[in-house]
Amino acid sequence: MGKRKKVIAFFRELGFQLDITRFDDRLIAQKVVCLLELKGIDLGYPCSIYVRGPYSPELTRDLYEFSNEFRQGETGTQLDSQEKATAHQLEHIFGLQPVLLEVGATYGHYTIKERYSPLEAQTRVKRLKPFYPETQVAVGISKAKEFLFEPTTRDLDELKKETSIWQRAALRSLEE
Amino acid sequence: MHHDVLSIVNESQALNAKMFSLVRLKLIASLAALGPDGATYRELKAALEINDGVLYSNLNVLKDFGYLTSEKIIFEGKELELFAVTSQGLDEWARTREWLCKFLQCGG
Repeated sequence: MGKRKKVIAFFRELGFQLDITRFDDRLIAQKVVCLLELKGIDLGYPCSIYVRGPYSPELTRDLYEFSNEFRQGETGTQLDSQEKATAHQLEHIFGLQPVLLEVGATYGHYTIKERYSPLEAQTRVKRLKPFYPETQVAVGISKAKEFLFEPTTRDLDELKKETSIWQRAALRSLEE
Repeated sequence: MHHDVLSIVNESQALNAKMFSLVRLKLIASLAALGPDGATYRELKAALEINDGVLYSNLNVLKDFGYLTSEKIIFEGKELELFAVTSQGLDEWARTREWLCKFLQCGG
């Protein structure tokens, strides 16, 4: 029974007040939960791929059954500091935009849960969501990468090497 | 293994024979999983890879049976058609699944 309370706590932290009659809101709720699960937060609503992309039918049941609690943000659950930071990061990166959340969650599911290569995952996202413009798909995927994948020390070193030429050139131009 | 194959076969008389089309089974199975949330026409088309003519006519058949409802919604400034399963549709899908399971366990 308690698991929905944690979801409500996340929604509160995100400033998201669910109106169950709105399609956009139900979509945001699903994709936020799937992204948080992909990020490693166990909310008890595992997502699988359905016609709407990553989705939790159990969450749908609870959203409808306890729609008042979700609308009013009724929860006794407190998020810890790390969970709050994750909520803020999600809000900062996706801004609760339904299309970006949907593309991001779908890409994340294919790469993390189904272990497809980035290219294959991108192809599958486009196949499942052909109605979204290329630009929105590209932005959604980029945001998923930002939210779900932390760069390793090696990634950062390689990035540093790659950008050092321009950094040196920029410094030289300041000296001249 | 069941031995009374005939009685299992005859139990199918309680089902809606018109449900036994691959497209309709795909649609009802997909929408049953989503409950009242439903899915839009374009989501069904893309995910199930069904062309417009076949998809539209089969969705209408399922609506005529009372197994689906549809409504117009606005999403990102676009008007979309959202389809959701009804309780009657869920009941029929449950009966169909139950019978298919029994039938398949009969073996070859």
